[in-house]
Amino acid sequence: MKKKKHILFIAPGFILYTIFIIFPIFYVLYLSVFEWSGLGPMKFVGLENFKTLFFNERMAPTMFNALKNNLKYLLCVWLIITPFQYLIAYLMYIKIPAHKYIKFMIFMPYVISSTIVSFFATLLFNPNIGFLNKLFEWMGHPEWQSAWFGDPNRAFKLMIVLIIWQGAGTGIMIFYSNLMDISRDVMESCRIDGCNEWQRFLYILLPLSLPSCASIITMSTIWALAIFDMPFILGGANGGVNGCLDFANLVFYRYTFGTGLNGKSNLGFGASICVLMFVVMLFVTFLQNKFLSKFEYEN
Amino acid sequence: MKKNMKKLVAFIGTFALAMSVTACGGSGGGESKSSGQDTAAADNPAAAADEAAPIEEAAEAESGGGEISGTLTVWEHDYHFEACLKDVIAGFEKQYPDVTVEYEIKDDNYDSILSTAMQSGDGPDLFWTNGSVTATMGNFVSNGVCVDLTDKVDYSLMPEAAMGLTMIDGKSYSVPWLTMDTRTVYYNIDMFEENGWSVPKTFSEFEELLATVKAAGITPISLCPNSPWTLLFAFEPILSGYDPEYTTGLSDYSVPAAGDVVKGCLNKMLEWADKGYFGDNWLGVADENAQYLAFTTGNTAMEIGGSWEASTFAANNPDLNFGAFAVPAEDGTTGLVGTPANGFSVNAATENMDAALAFANYCATLEAQTIWVQSQGAVSASDKIEASTDIAKMISEGGKGNIYTSWQSVLNYHSEGGEANTIWGEDFSKVFTGGMTVDDFADEISAAMD
Repeated sequence: MKKKKHILFIAPGFILYTIFIIFPIFYVLYLSVFEWSGLGPMKFVGLENFKTLFFNERMAPTMFNALKNNLKYLLCVWLIITPFQYLIAYLMYIKIPAHKYIKFMIFMPYVISSTIVSFFATLLFNPNIGFLNKLFEWMGHPEWQSAWFGDPNRAFKLMIVLIIWQGAGTGIMIFYSNLMDISRDVMESCRIDGCNEWQRFLYILLPLSLPSCASIITMSTIWALAIFDMPFILGGANGGVNGCLDFANLVFYRYTFGTGLNGKSNLGFGASICVLMFVVMLFVTFLQNKFLSKFEYEN
Repeated sequence: MKKNMKKLVAFIGTFALAMSVTACGGSGGGESKSSGQDTAAADNPAAAADEAAPIEEAAEAESGGGEISGTLTVWEHDYHFEACLKDVIAGFEKQYPDVTVEYEIKDDNYDSILSTAMQSGDGPDLFWTNGSVTATMGNFVSNGVCVDLTDKVDYSLMPEAAMGLTMIDGKSYSVPWLTMDTRTVYYNIDMFEENGWSVPKTFSEFEELLATVKAAGITPISLCPNSPWTLLFAFEPILSGYDPEYTTGLSDYSVPAAGDVVKGCLNKMLEWADKGYFGDNWLGVADENAQYLAFTTGNTAMEIGGSWEASTFAANNPDLNFGAFAVPAEDGTTGLVGTPANGFSVNAATENMDAALAFANYCATLEAQTIWVQSQGAVSASDKIEASTDIAKMISEGGKGNIYTSWQSVLNYHSEGGEANTIWGEDFSKVFTGGMTVDDFADEISAAMD
């Protein structure tokens, strides 16, 4: 009887989860071996979609370039964005001057939509009407002017800056909350024991905030491999100048819904891109979990 | 146990995220198949179309005598066409007071949004496609999504050039618009007068003008390199001035699609880019809106683009005093590259077929065509419709009666499944941004042509 109650309790969630999460996952796997525009009959093509993805002389370079950009962005998340978030959280924790104002200013862009951010970017970076080039001209330094997002050497870096500006706030808040959650007793006793600021950071704050690091890195990694909106807005559906802002999800978008194929959509091919991305994400997450398990500690 | 749970959650989270986007599209497609509306259309498109009223009935209804009522939804692809669409709808609703027509403009990624809507069975009653120029309408037709309008719409007003856009396998699936969708060079008249520049009469003069404008510290032409379309709308008129004989040969495909002339013209444009004629940092012009803004705010002297852009310029900056001219050839020949435009198709799954066909028929009337052309301020493709604006007349007169076939339409019509057109869509920008050489691009196109 008790067992039956348990089953009844979990049944709604289980059914909904199966319908909306599990079924689509298997459906995508199924789709990946078909050629199908979404209308009309589906044509079974076996592994042809994957063959095209990896070996087609036009498709493969595009896909590998996108994957390279995804991994590049992932490295930026791990090595630049997350440490930056931690640093800012720490500075707020130690209450640097005007920390409340800084906290507000850092978190504010998070509530601005990506579309508005891209509009700001146009006002700033557009070479003909943007503020920056005009400013440099006014300052008498036309040599500082640039194509900005039209320059493949700068576009990616600028995108990272914009992402930090817009999205770093959440991670900072999580880190900050974690730091604030550390027991005052521990902090006081380390002071009494004569810890200097560096020792306090290295031996108390950093180890005790590692769990939030693990959460943020896990989430950021998944989002890094699934990034879409910012490069789409800044570089367009074709992935910017010479594909410098092309990512796997943009390739998926172009080839699944038609803009890359003269209006032809191919859900089967798009599904094969998703399956590939799943394998990549699985691999990265596996390696990451191995590493992050070292961050765990018993409370 | 805890670790295993964490791994499981990470696994499912990762997979769900990777799959979620496709799953949406995919399941949408599944829905489409199983829905009553789409089943009827997909299983038996002919039957769905047969249920529709033939021309006579539609014509009868057109006079207001039919019992046509309900609501229609129409999708357009660009805000350029909002004003004229509203006016056409107003004209239709006057004739059919019991029908309410709603419209939606899906400005960005229209084809993607439309395809997804059709796949999920949530498509509009009538929708714009680029006709036979791109694969969208052909794909819809092969899957029974579009109603065969051949015998259901009165096309007597339409010239052959316009009908070509509507045809798939000899049948018509859309109603064209008699606007002449051409490309032209817009110029800032006040800026030209202030600097003593004049409209060029030959290709050499055009090049000299670009150099002169640049020397005056003004960007000659506003152009965006990130869209194959903005580049195409500049390339085609320049090609017509670069070699009008070649451009004439495109009409019967008697010239190679990517031969020496095309390569020469592309190299000429790259040379102009290097000289800064499109701006010193033009690669950073992100999209067509930024391209337009540079011209309408007076930051550039000229803009090469579609005839339909004139209304946007006027709306962006009502004080802008601008004119238009065609790129002249060395011997002074000028012409207009372009065709009439495609219009709406009828969704075979519409729940209000009579009203949808009545709207399609209304679009084919002289009244609706006149409203569309004049409200848009477009160049007219029919001698029965007079252009309403000075700029449209100026564009029309600039062509001196010569009409050239679009180079891009040749790619579409003379390659297997429009393959050359797909290559153009993917790689044309790369030619201008240094990602690909002109020769490599031309080789790719040539290999894909019939």
